[in-house]
Amino acid sequence: MRSLLAALAVASLVAVPAQAAPGPPFSPEAIRFFESEVRPTLHTRCAQCHNDELRTSGLSVASRQSLLEGGNRGAAVSLERPAESLILSALRHASGLKMPADGRLSDRKVAAIERWIELGAPWPEVTASATAGRVARHWSFEPVARPETPPVANTDWVRNPLDRFVISRLEEAGLEPSPEAPGATLAKRAHLDLTGLPPSPEDVRDFLADTDPGAYERMVDRLLDSPRYGERWGRHWLDIARYADSNGYNNDAPRKIWMYRDWIIDALNRDLPFDQFVIEQLAGDLLPGASRQQVVATGFHRNTLLNLEGGIDFEQYRVEAVVDRVDVTGIAFLGLTLGCARCHDHKYDPISQREFYQFFAFFNSIDELSGDFNDQEGRARAYEPLLEFGSDEQYLRRDAIKAQLKAMREEQDRYEEDLLLKQPEWEAGLTEEDLAKLPLGVQRILGKPPEERVAGRLVFVKNAFLSQDPGVQERRKAIAAVNKLLPEIPSTLVMRELPEARPTHIFLQGDFLRKGDQVEAGTPDVLPPLEADDPNRLALARWIVDRRNPLTPRVAVNRIWQRYFGQGIVATENDFGTQGDPPSHPLLLDWLASEFMARDWSLKSLHRLIVTSATYRQSSAFRADLASADSSNLLLGRQNRLRVESEIVRDVALSASGMLESEIGGPSVFPAQPPGVMIRRPWPESKGRNRYRRGLYTHFWRTSPHPGLMVFDSPDSLTLATRRNRSNTPLQALTLLNDTGFHEFAQGLARRVLRERPDSGIAERADHAFRVCLAREPSAGELRALERLAATQLDEFSTHPEQADEILSAEIHDGLDRAQAAAWTTVAGVLMNLDEFITRE
Amino acid sequence: MTPQEKTLLHVTRRHFYSQCFVGLGGIALGGLMGGRGFGAAAGPDLRDPLVPRAPHFAPKVKRVVYLFMAGAPSQFETWLWRPELRKLDGQPTPDSFLDGKRFAFMERFTKERPKLLGPQRDFRQHGQSGTWVSEVFPHMASIVDDLALVHTLRTENFNHAPAKLVFNTGSTRFGRPSMGSWITYGLGSESRNLPAFVVLRSGEQNLMGGVNIWGSGFLPTTFQGVEFLRSADPIPNLSSPPGYSTGRQSDRVNAIRELNLARLAEVGDPEISTRIASYELAHRMQTSGPELMDLSTESQATLDLYGAVPGESNFANNCLVARRLLERGTRFVQLYHTGWDHHGNRVNNLAEKLDEVSLAVDRASAALVTDLKQRGLLDDTLVIWGGEFGRTPMGEIQELPGRNHHVENFPIWFAGGGIKAGQTIGGVDELGFFITKDPIEVHDVQATILHLLGLDHTKLTFRHQGRDFRLTDVGGRVIEKLLA
Repeated sequence: MRSLLAALAVASLVAVPAQAAPGPPFSPEAIRFFESEVRPTLHTRCAQCHNDELRTSGLSVASRQSLLEGGNRGAAVSLERPAESLILSALRHASGLKMPADGRLSDRKVAAIERWIELGAPWPEVTASATAGRVARHWSFEPVARPETPPVANTDWVRNPLDRFVISRLEEAGLEPSPEAPGATLAKRAHLDLTGLPPSPEDVRDFLADTDPGAYERMVDRLLDSPRYGERWGRHWLDIARYADSNGYNNDAPRKIWMYRDWIIDALNRDLPFDQFVIEQLAGDLLPGASRQQVVATGFHRNTLLNLEGGIDFEQYRVEAVVDRVDVTGIAFLGLTLGCARCHDHKYDPISQREFYQFFAFFNSIDELSGDFNDQEGRARAYEPLLEFGSDEQYLRRDAIKAQLKAMREEQDRYEEDLLLKQPEWEAGLTEEDLAKLPLGVQRILGKPPEERVAGRLVFVKNAFLSQDPGVQERRKAIAAVNKLLPEIPSTLVMRELPEARPTHIFLQGDFLRKGDQVEAGTPDVLPPLEADDPNRLALARWIVDRRNPLTPRVAVNRIWQRYFGQGIVATENDFGTQGDPPSHPLLLDWLASEFMARDWSLKSLHRLIVTSATYRQSSAFRADLASADSSNLLLGRQNRLRVESEIVRDVALSASGMLESEIGGPSVFPAQPPGVMIRRPWPESKGRNRYRRGLYTHFWRTSPHPGLMVFDSPDSLTLATRRNRSNTPLQALTLLNDTGFHEFAQGLARRVLRERPDSGIAERADHAFRVCLAREPSAGELRALERLAATQLDEFSTHPEQADEILSAEIHDGLDRAQAAAWTTVAGVLMNLDEFITRE
Repeated sequence: MTPQEKTLLHVTRRHFYSQCFVGLGGIALGGLMGGRGFGAAAGPDLRDPLVPRAPHFAPKVKRVVYLFMAGAPSQFETWLWRPELRKLDGQPTPDSFLDGKRFAFMERFTKERPKLLGPQRDFRQHGQSGTWVSEVFPHMASIVDDLALVHTLRTENFNHAPAKLVFNTGSTRFGRPSMGSWITYGLGSESRNLPAFVVLRSGEQNLMGGVNIWGSGFLPTTFQGVEFLRSADPIPNLSSPPGYSTGRQSDRVNAIRELNLARLAEVGDPEISTRIASYELAHRMQTSGPELMDLSTESQATLDLYGAVPGESNFANNCLVARRLLERGTRFVQLYHTGWDHHGNRVNNLAEKLDEVSLAVDRASAALVTDLKQRGLLDDTLVIWGGEFGRTPMGEIQELPGRNHHVENFPIWFAGGGIKAGQTIGGVDELGFFITKDPIEVHDVQATILHLLGLDHTKLTFRHQGRDFRLTDVGGRVIEKLLA
């Protein structure tokens, strides 16, 4: 453990002198002075022109060394005679050279630079050594330790070992943890966190009535066993996988990869150990005797964008997809921003550009759309490799129809060729009336004498001629009709290696046309070595989950922790490198990481551990003492209130409405959405059961996502997302107040209340509706407010039954008293708009 | 407000002052509160990040409307008259222009040496300034003395999505804030009833880049662009559900407020008061939104000026809505019109498709400038018109005339406050391949827009992942020649 703490201290305060260190070791104060007073000036006022790439006048301010070496005019910084440094005379406009070109620096800033030179031009070594590709000591690269649980005073509070790490920090700070949240809050919290659905009033009642020891743990076990758990945590993983149902880019054509989504749900529900979960997604196709499902899992890295725009070089976009795989693999599993090293060595972390392309090589030999297919045939195989789940009969039928189409197209070509002989005759015979029916452009061309017509535009006339011929029209129609007969064969995008690997080159400055040295597949030097005879994707996957890899378990437990507390132990959950934040509880992070591996990477076991802790079970209510002592709640003296994710906003409302369809998986669906959002994208609104599926099954068009998802901060799925924003906007209010879908849910809830409380009065019904939505008992004031609203609404609708007719959809209210249904719809519309309704408390 | 509510709000404010940020966007807003990196002006106030804020220095304009021609208009058929190119129509491209250069759609060139394509439209000189304008823009030609035309914008990216991203966010990387978000972050909102940053779309084709080009990136989502939809309900879900009269909707909103306040008193989470405020603005927008979109209150003369027709959804209507937004305090309005990607295929070409798209935008673009001028608003409004890159002097070998993507030079025009109108900036060689004088970078355009709004582009920063980010990344110079 000492090594980790030592490394932490190193990372946060001062650099270890590296071999190539060009100066003396500097004090932390000196480095801090440089970072706060000098580096920002150099970066914002000088580096625009004087960087490593441009080197205007030969000078770069990117490193201490380059300043000492200087540019065409000689050294910029003189350590011997600081006051005579060229940089100072330029900044002071003391000679002909006046810098920066866009305006003088303040005297204070120049004085700071002079002081900095007098100090010996301190510059942190981590950056310099990292840039040179040397190993810097940084806490996250140290092996995972197994820390002792710390001693604590308040042992009564502790429920499991992880609590000791939390309360010991609180005790050090002189803070008390918060009391356990009320039972109803706990029930709702656990239900939302583990399944994404709120508990029913009966669930809460049963839980509160169970006074035997272990009632809470039993509830947690039941939730972990629910198939809803796989949907809930599957959606978190789909953020990382950048899952979507379309290709992105200009065309954003649809794609079929929902079987991958279903694989994730199933893998989590059967608690596939995390190491195997990773291996199958990265390289399931390469496993000896791989099952079809293991191949389906490799859809993970086929969630990359696909550009089918006309005229492009497919190779460029294949390279982009491979780069994305490197980025995503780095951040998803290792918490490393490998992508920063695409064009140059990583500026901060020990990743060289060569290492980036060594990593790139693992994903560079997929048999997918590439520069080898820059023609129409390429488009035809755009989705390869894919795995099909059709019947023999379907395959036969497809072959037959394809042959028929080919023959029809050939016949069409012959017909058009003959027909074109008659075009001059057609042009000559056009009357004024005929002309007026043609497109504007054609009219203009034909309006000019033949010698003045621009040659390039004549094809347009040809097309107009062909289009008016009944024979052409008939053939086009027939081909389109036969095309529609092609059978819909279920399939999903997967990985497959080329028979022979593509050579991988370093791309100079990241440009795929400028090839540098050839490199072989390999992993970064800063991490434990890859020991494999054949360094392929499977070897990479096994290396990622090798227990010696210090990053994978830390990153994994941190992400899970983040979902429960709103913030990770490492707040920069996507960056465990030197630019990331250090962990708030380093010992806890390592304890959890080691515990995760000790539990054989069982995710359910890890969830259970966290959810049953006293830390998790604390109240989320605000406390004045914590607000001043620990404003960001880093020490976790209480739980956090978190607005639920976009899909869960929908799920919570659906669930309360009683309309939720519980079917798991299958092709994505098209729930209602406001008109006018989809531009040139089909939205065949689902009717019946598919209208009421959970949010994670909503079809996701990358360039026109469902507004109900985006307004609540769904990620765009263009690349991975390791966190959700939690914005709070008027558009969210408008959605919950007025959206067609939510209005239906309000009606559903009204129906549910009237059916479940058929003979009750206003008070009892209001109480029930409140419990359905908020999973707790209302206060007297809350109940009164609802009763008052229900009473006035009932009055209004009884006097104006026509208003009730307007509010209610015939399919939903079916046979209930109309005034009652309408009044309770209004009340439901209030409950479903409350902050608490969409918040995990 | 009841005494109880007053007390609650007071409690809430105290919470804000004591920096209870968690749940309010967490770290990011923590950074905002500190004003870290914001420059001279004070950073946004956590309690209401949209409160108007002072710029860094006296601004020339208060608002901006950007008419973005998505797909990249061809300079050779719009603003750049190259008579020499017409003379050489159909000739192979001289070697001197191709050697060592890379153009989009390379693979076609390997089959055949690309041929030059003469301008497909005629040009005439217009106005006092004698500016050459293509016949496709008769209306914009008539206001050419109000414009400052730049011929020499250049960019690095010859694919649509990254090029649009650079224009709007300063970077090809996803996840950076858009220009409108930066401006709202810097200056807040002048309107209590409408969003500060609005996006309007028209045109038949898909807009590449989608929501990312008006997203708030790593800035809090309060600053993101609000897209008005192309439908009867331009702000999604602005109309109450059927049967909800104004009174009934108010009953609902009041009950929601009462119950949210009760919960706030119980758990003390400031996020709840933010949500209460969101419902108040949403409710106000339900009234202000329809009024804004109701073009029937405009005079027939104004409707004719734009070519707008109430009830329709098109570029002309959007231009008129833009003016109404600017009048009502919206600071940044961005219009996107697609359909400029004129390759040589049936969907996109310089034959009839150019005519169609020109017809769709010419009159209204000019009308917006004229109308703003007539109303005295042009003096403190900036109007910008342009695409994401240009098109090649060579033609595309397809069935109809068209051109490929060209990043070396393309036009953009500016009008309004602080702009020296009636001038043309920049030199391009006689065939229109490369810039010979005054290259302008995309970051320069952004720096200039911020400058006119009174913001120093090097000071408008936000700390994210350990680094101070800005719209212009490490580039950007104010285009001095452009300024009055």
